[in-house]
Amino acid sequence: MDFVEKRLTQRAKRGDREAFAELIEIYKDKIFQLAYRMVGNRQDAEDIAQETFLRVYANLHTYDESYKFSTWIYRIATNLCIDRGRKKRPDFSLDEEVEPGQGMDWYSRLSSNEKNPADSLVTQELQETVQDALSHLAPKYRSIMILRYIEDLSLQEISDIVKLPVTTIKTRIHRGREALRSKLRFM
Amino acid sequence: MECREMSVLIHEFLDGEIDELSNQKLQTHMRTCASCRQHLQELQRAIAFVQSASHIQVSPDFTARVFAQLPTPTRKKRFSSWLRNHPFLTAAAVFLFLMTGSTMANWYERDNTLQIASSNMDKLKIDRTRNVVVVPAGTTIDGDLVVRNGNVEVQGEVRGNVVAIEGKVVLASTAHVAGSAESIEAIFEWIWYEVKNIGNDLLPVFP
Repeated sequence: MDFVEKRLTQRAKRGDREAFAELIEIYKDKIFQLAYRMVGNRQDAEDIAQETFLRVYANLHTYDESYKFSTWIYRIATNLCIDRGRKKRPDFSLDEEVEPGQGMDWYSRLSSNEKNPADSLVTQELQETVQDALSHLAPKYRSIMILRYIEDLSLQEISDIVKLPVTTIKTRIHRGREALRSKLRFM
Repeated sequence: MECREMSVLIHEFLDGEIDELSNQKLQTHMRTCASCRQHLQELQRAIAFVQSASHIQVSPDFTARVFAQLPTPTRKKRFSSWLRNHPFLTAAAVFLFLMTGSTMANWYERDNTLQIASSNMDKLKIDRTRNVVVVPAGTTIDGDLVVRNGNVEVQGEVRGNVVAIEGKVVLASTAHVAGSAESIEAIFEWIWYEVKNIGNDLLPVFP
């Protein structure tokens, strides 16, 4: 896979449009998914995804092949998402949200029987709740939670994408998890 | 108080980076602490919810719309990418260009004096008033005879080609030319002659 991608990026770098089209095919859904979870609506997400690929095309000559292509394109997309959020509305603060959760309920006991949550039916309502919980995270936490749990990337990869040390990524993921937990615990 | 410490371990556990000792500590604690058990469960559920957020897909014409916005390749770029894609034709074109150049230069740099190239200069008779080089009857020239800016009159024998550049080759009835006799007057003939020579030089000819 990495080899194929390497060949494609080399060809695209030389101006081969077919190779560039193949790169779009590989990454369009991933980038769109990231953008959609960041901004919360299809139209803006598609705009960001398009802009991402246009920037990739315009800056292919600066792409350093010693890094993974995915790291580079995720970085471009993440920055675009955060820039757009900055223009549109003020961020929410996460830092005071973290508090140790108390209180038992039966739902949490029932859920322990759940074997594979990915297989469970995801209702429209749950979709919206998850999106809402994500949108309440500050972008710097939201992007990292999306990269970790929706794009399924490793801590190291995320660290490469946002150019921050792994320890910082861990701290953000811990806080992000606590924030999501407090939003989603009564689901 | 212990629970606060356990919260750190719970996150290490979720990151899959907990060491064995801490893991045992956490498990032992959770057996007795319902609150920490619940804490972990809620975190796991939250992660599962986010992970199960159905993966949406971009609209089908996405790629086409990106391409519509790409800058159209300029003429220059298209030409250079064509060159890259056809390395052999490019090399051939460059070769032809340089060849033509040097051949043309040879043609234009000529002067008008009579020039003779032959291995048997002593046997040739040169008539300066008529600008004619004569191979007298009964003599034999080994190899080619090339004359520039003059005519060649062959009465004897030439064991090779006779070429007159900017002149004529006149063969007498007694003449005997082993190779070909040719007169070159126009530039295209000159180019052709040069190209033929390359061919002759490249291809080994066995007598």
